[in-house]
Amino acid sequence: MALCEAEKTFVLHGVEENFRVDGREREDYRPMELETDIVSHAFGSARLRLANTDILVAVKIEVDVPFPESPHQGKIEFFVDCSANATPDFEGRGGEDLAVTISSTLSSAYSSSLAFDLRKLCILHGRKCWKLYVDILILECGGNLFDAVSLAVKAALWNTQVPFVKNINIDGNNVEINVADDLYACERLDVKKAPVMVTVCKIGDKCIVDPNAAEEQCSVGSVVVAVSGNKFSTVYQTGKGSLHPSTLIESLKLGFEVAKRLDEALWETLSQIQPDQDVGFLK
Amino acid sequence: MPVDHKRINGPDETYPYSLYAKTNKQSLNEKHEDIKRTGQRSDSRTFLEHRKIFIKTGVVSQAKGSAYIELENTKVIVSVFDPREIPNRPDYSLKGEIYCEFKYAPFSCNKRRLHIQDTEEKQYSAIMKQALESTVCSHEFPNFQVDIYAMVLHNDGSCLSAAITAAGLALAHAGVPMYDIITSVSLGIQQDNLFIDPTNEEQSICLYPRTLDTDHGNVIISKLHMHNQISQFYQSGNISLEKINEAIGILDKTCEELVPVIQKYLVKHVIRNLKDREAK
Amino acid sequence: MAEQYKSLHPIKYYRDYLAHGIRPDGREFNKFRPILLNVGSIDTADGSAIAKVGNTTVVCGIKAELCKPKPDAPKCGFLVPNLELPPLCSPKFRPGPPSDQAQVLTQLIADIIENSKCIDLNDLCIFQDKLVWCLFVDFVCLDFDGSVVDACIVSLLGALKTAKLPFVEYDPALDNIQVNMEERKHIKVHSTPVSTTFAVFDDKVILKDPTQEEENLCSGILTVVFKDDELCCVHKPGGSPLTQEELSQCIEESKERTLFIKRLIDTAV
Repeated sequence: MALCEAEKTFVLHGVEENFRVDGREREDYRPMELETDIVSHAFGSARLRLANTDILVAVKIEVDVPFPESPHQGKIEFFVDCSANATPDFEGRGGEDLAVTISSTLSSAYSSSLAFDLRKLCILHGRKCWKLYVDILILECGGNLFDAVSLAVKAALWNTQVPFVKNINIDGNNVEINVADDLYACERLDVKKAPVMVTVCKIGDKCIVDPNAAEEQCSVGSVVVAVSGNKFSTVYQTGKGSLHPSTLIESLKLGFEVAKRLDEALWETLSQIQPDQDVGFLK
Repeated sequence: MPVDHKRINGPDETYPYSLYAKTNKQSLNEKHEDIKRTGQRSDSRTFLEHRKIFIKTGVVSQAKGSAYIELENTKVIVSVFDPREIPNRPDYSLKGEIYCEFKYAPFSCNKRRLHIQDTEEKQYSAIMKQALESTVCSHEFPNFQVDIYAMVLHNDGSCLSAAITAAGLALAHAGVPMYDIITSVSLGIQQDNLFIDPTNEEQSICLYPRTLDTDHGNVIISKLHMHNQISQFYQSGNISLEKINEAIGILDKTCEELVPVIQKYLVKHVIRNLKDREAK
Repeated sequence: MAEQYKSLHPIKYYRDYLAHGIRPDGREFNKFRPILLNVGSIDTADGSAIAKVGNTTVVCGIKAELCKPKPDAPKCGFLVPNLELPPLCSPKFRPGPPSDQAQVLTQLIADIIENSKCIDLNDLCIFQDKLVWCLFVDFVCLDFDGSVVDACIVSLLGALKTAKLPFVEYDPALDNIQVNMEERKHIKVHSTPVSTTFAVFDDKVILKDPTQEEENLCSGILTVVFKDDELCCVHKPGGSPLTQEELSQCIEESKERTLFIKRLIDTAV
């Protein structure tokens, strides 16, 4: 989408007046829809729709060997697929850079053990651990991908059920793991402090959150903040422009407030979902 | 994994010998305790002191512009090439673009690096691009792309900030129009200790939290001097808002401290060029 | 004026110079560029060296790792050389997999190492059939200005002669490895190969130690490798043919140089 100068001015004035093109205020989000447990083959999944942005996240679990430098930790890997259906810009290899940026920002946000504790994924020190593959599919792109992806990932991890290890047989160099037969004997991951990302966008002199595609075009620079609990786990500046130090601090503050509110709202929504609902007739 | 037929591959599985080291090395926690107790870093710098910088331009004869930077043990070389048409692009772009590639030499780190760019290197390339994009006057070379390559020869912490500072210098050396001088500084945070320009060891100290609910992490900032603008900011770890504000203040100041070094070098470079021209 | 002439008619430009018995960079045909060798500047590597031949710069770093030997050669360690020509060193190269030139040169270097037997792979054995050293020898070219192989081989020897491996204790009963980081030993280097590159211009003039420009314009390239006073390897990938006299002369000249380079390496180490 290309905007002409007049349209850009219109958007800019809207932001100035705290009355954006779609009627929102500067700190308002667009409506969101969240579904969990929708991919039956995955260990955990979630789908999030934020206005036109549509994200599907599925979590797969495999047994792996821990890294020699961190023998007491499991592994987590993020993979983002920017499908060409999402927006024409992703055609060919167009979405590749963005996909790498999103996945590396996610792994950086989840890297601190205070945000997400990988030690709980260790099965046997130095020998076996769980590896989480978090696959993120961008089905439709309507702006503000970072926020939507982080919420969807958090919901999918919340939904993830890690198989329960019954016993471990060690025979020399061979390690055998027995997983509980009961499909429903699973552990949940602790995702209370998993980071939530908010993109703070600078338009004119003011900062807004959740920009739509048109607003993203008008922005001179934006900052993605990932907040875990009451700390920042990652801050990443994007966009072509640069920011004044005071603007940066201001947008960090704004992002922090909004992220906390967003996290609360997400947590409330998730707690309304009844865990392990009986589905189907074989139960 | 598919076999790389274009290189000579070693045996399938090899292990770095440091994994089996006998000597009971000081753990990172103990090292941090030492630093906290003595109030001095292992290379006897104060916490807010930047390492000495050595810079040199024109180190790669085949490149349009190049720069080499040394922060004691950290050694990075950057080269910039002539603009070329943006590849694989059907429409005409009114603005030029820059392409950045950040790479560790295979032997530059404690662990051997592979030849193919890994995710960390890709992320660092993206951060470098973000930092430099607002520095170059991209409207001066429409529809063209300037390639910037950075190679770390020896990693002893703060490689990315060294690469960004050097890239700014290499761009100037190549004669690419720029708005401003760019300087970049890293900072490591562990509890109440802030390490300006951390070494590799200090970066690892800052990687993991000591206790529950403490601040830890690494921050890197790039700044345009005259315009007082931050062109790139990246933080990882777990840090409170107050600490980040403090870090931005300190980094801002340290970036300013680097500017005279760069300026002095650039002036010297210009004078030398003028003399050369006169001699001709 | 000269600049324009050079870029419009590069070959003619060169011919004019060569007709007067001199090269555009001021060297005579049989003069080498100055060589610089600096060892041990990278301490993340187990052995390292930087070699400069004129502008051409190559960094060689050796990283040692442990691995299991092949069943058919239970006492042999591994030596894995790779030359990287990153896009940083010349506008000729683009990011991505190694170029053809990098692959050819890597193979040439591997052949030189193997033929000169400068490293005996049996020396890299720690415990037969169980544990051997694998030396990853990585060359990174920082400035691509001709005669890259010469620089590579000089840096290789600088790095090999300064490389130190820690002492490893291996307990076969428990399959237990212990590494004593303090006690380090040099690797035995059995010979000193020295390579010399020649370029053949217009099928007749032979230029020693060509620059990148000369390599591009010339009609053939010849690399002669001497190991002490024995001929070890001659690499002539096609190009214009050489008479027997010319070839013998090149070989003779590279032999003369061997002593000089050997002395250089010894002083640097």
